Amino acid sequence: MAEVKKNEEPRIGVFVCHCGTNIAGSIDVKAVMEYAQTLPNVAIADDYQYMCSTPGQNKIAEAIAEHNLTGVVVAACSPRLHEPTFRNATAEGGLNPFRFEMANIREQNSWVHMHQPEEATSKAKDAVRIAVAKASLLEDLIPKSVPVEKAAMVVGGGVGGMQAALDLANAGIKTYLVEKNPTIGGRMSQLDKTFPTLDCSQCILTPKMVDVYRHEGIELLTYTEVEAVEGYIGNFDVTLRKKARGVLTPAEAEARGIVGGGCTGCGDCEAVCPVIKPNPFELGMAPRKAVYIYHPQVSPLIYTVDFDACVKCGLCVEACGEKKAIDLDAEDELITVKVGTAILATGYDIFPIEKKFEWGYKNYDNVITSLEFERLICASGPTGGHLVRPSDGETPKKVAFVLCAGSRDNTGVGKPYCSRFCCMYSLKHAHQIIEKIPGAVPYIFYMDIRSFGKMYEEFYYRIQDEGAKFIRGRVANITEDPVTKNLHVNAEDTLLGRPLDMEVDMVVLAAAVEPSAETEKTRRLFGLSCSQDGWLLEAHPKLNPCGTTTAGVYLAGVCQGPKDIPDTVAQAEGAASAASIPIHKGEVELEPYFAQCIEEKCAGCGLCVNLCPYGALALVEKDGRKVMQVTEAKCKGCGTCGGFCPGGAIWMQHFATPQIVAQIDAFLLGGEQ
Amino acid sequence: MAVKKDYKDQKLVEKLQDRNYYVSDSNPEFIKEVERLGRTAAHMCYQCGTCTGSCPSAPRSSYRIRLFMRKAILGLEEEVLTDPDLWLCTTCYSCTDRCPRNLAPTDAIMAMRNLAFKRDIVPRNFLKTVQAIYKTGHGVPNNDANRAARKKLGLDEEPETTHKYPEYLPGLRKIIDHYKMKEKADRILAEGE
Repeated sequence: MAEVKKNEEPRIGVFVCHCGTNIAGSIDVKAVMEYAQTLPNVAIADDYQYMCSTPGQNKIAEAIAEHNLTGVVVAACSPRLHEPTFRNATAEGGLNPFRFEMANIREQNSWVHMHQPEEATSKAKDAVRIAVAKASLLEDLIPKSVPVEKAAMVVGGGVGGMQAALDLANAGIKTYLVEKNPTIGGRMSQLDKTFPTLDCSQCILTPKMVDVYRHEGIELLTYTEVEAVEGYIGNFDVTLRKKARGVLTPAEAEARGIVGGGCTGCGDCEAVCPVIKPNPFELGMAPRKAVYIYHPQVSPLIYTVDFDACVKCGLCVEACGEKKAIDLDAEDELITVKVGTAILATGYDIFPIEKKFEWGYKNYDNVITSLEFERLICASGPTGGHLVRPSDGETPKKVAFVLCAGSRDNTGVGKPYCSRFCCMYSLKHAHQIIEKIPGAVPYIFYMDIRSFGKMYEEFYYRIQDEGAKFIRGRVANITEDPVTKNLHVNAEDTLLGRPLDMEVDMVVLAAAVEPSAETEKTRRLFGLSCSQDGWLLEAHPKLNPCGTTTAGVYLAGVCQGPKDIPDTVAQAEGAASAASIPIHKGEVELEPYFAQCIEEKCAGCGLCVNLCPYGALALVEKDGRKVMQVTEAKCKGCGTCGGFCPGGAIWMQHFATPQIVAQIDAFLLGGEQ
Repeated sequence: MAVKKDYKDQKLVEKLQDRNYYVSDSNPEFIKEVERLGRTAAHMCYQCGTCTGSCPSAPRSSYRIRLFMRKAILGLEEEVLTDPDLWLCTTCYSCTDRCPRNLAPTDAIMAMRNLAFKRDIVPRNFLKTVQAIYKTGHGVPNNDANRAARKKLGLDEEPETTHKYPEYLPGLRKIIDHYKMKEKADRILAEGE
């Protein structure tokens, strides 16, 4: 441990911030400052308009020198906001930065007691007194540095995950890209065109997929899931489950001594396979075999055996011949990799919109979701790009688009949030049917058209000009004509104030999105929080949108909240940048809030070892007896062990028992000791 | 707030007066009263029209439940309570079933009807229904055609209600009397004669 400067005679400086009128509007700052001057151990008290400003910070540094302070208290905002600022100011003045204590008199006081100035002022005095009591007992602490593994992991191989992996690898960091499906590409590879530029989605995505596959710095692990995560920033040990694929890559074949073998993606196995299953990539609208690829542009181009469907007839093994790529006895394999940082990009699923039964999805043939529309309008889709009615294969001429299908819905069946990209892709869908089907008319039932992005409003203008009809009203219900299978859309044209019953050939539901099925599991493995609707929680919604509350873990794309492709890629690049910083720095500083064992008091009972949620404690042999030892890098300073230790042998740095007791005393005794 | 126009001619002032402002003569307490009686957060309506689109009354009448919600939020008390459309809701609750904001527009309408009834604004047929319930326990009492149909189906001529058990009528009347509904209905109907 570093040399500890013992508290001789505590000399505390107290600084009360006005924060403009944020604090001074309801708290009598002068009175709080004058009160602080009367407290024991206080050498100087002062106040200032904005303590976080440069002159404010200078006040701290100057006072430390002038009054030979041993501790600093700033009564201002939340430590979450400015604790680092004032720690730096404290260090600037020559004190150890952990000699600083903050009293929150804004978020927890002036903002909530705006109309009770007297009580607020009295509460602020309490807060200052308590902080001074603790500051008098603070000690020097030295943050611990741990080395960072020069490797990163990206979980999820959609466009966000791919972009993050490419950025990391291009920055010279070895990157593991983990994808649960047999191919990367994600949702974007299922789309036909992308708004507002109408680029072909696959055309702009496949070059990236190839880049990822070819990149020397990226280890692509498809058909793989995260099984367990241990460790902390800089040193995550991640166990991965490589699901039994049943097909060897050329490299794997070579490792088994099969010269020139392994899957070449020729498709001979698929041709002979007798088992037919629905292809999930085509949302079940096209068949695949038990040995399959999702689509011709998959990356890597390696077949996969669906062992839930395979009857092990062996025809594929025969067809594969000398390549010997197929191994029907394959089993899952667990591997462990060590990485310094990780990015989660686990994406989204479509909300099961059949739960809103008034719209009849899965009940009426010609009600489809927009993702199904994407596959049906896509040239490489099951119909070769000819949009047809599922009921009779006819081309629809009149198509209704139902926006906010399950989004902006507070009923409990549906999602309260805006899914954010449905307006724009529905405009694109309207464009596509006008373009592809002569005489076709799209009717867009909307509440608001949210065309917020760059060139999005212009796109809205364009589609309206092309002839799309907009009806401002949410669709109440849909019924089916049992003979023609046409649909009757009931809604109110709210701008006319008139109910309408419109007969259409097809209805496309712009269904809400929700976190992908694996998000929750992955979140728990990495110890992240989520918001109430299941999206992964960023460290700060505005100022730290890529970080999480777990150091070293970052977020990219829709797993953090609905966003379109440009925003997903932008966030992925942000996350990659953030994830590369600790790696390039080579070491990270951990807050020195570790538990410390006071060995002379430790009885070696070991009760704390099992209590530790982070596995940071162990019993070791020392001088012929057992004592507890802390792995500081793993300790998060939660205090579970310190609170429990029957012998009081655990010292929680910065939150030590005498410090906490002093705070309680200061509160209860009203400052009189 | 209406703009004051300073024409010399008083007739012209009246003729050109701004009439389409509503904020100045709205009652902000009205929505609170509707919410209290209807027990639904009516001010959260975002005017999507799902209610009117679901409404069986709307395609065959001028009843627009969405507009009532809007007017209630704006506090247009007079306009709402004197609008005969207020009484065209069949209380089928389709709008309440489907409202994406999880509101109960039906209950808001019921609240507005209660407020109208307090001010004696109520269609005569509703009052006659009150009288019918007081007399028979039914808004639509049994009749000969019904009795014949029930008999044909092998049912008793009278249903298992106050028709069959008239001894329960006094209890029912006690409730109606408690709220002075019959008394009020009789009075208003008599006044209108």
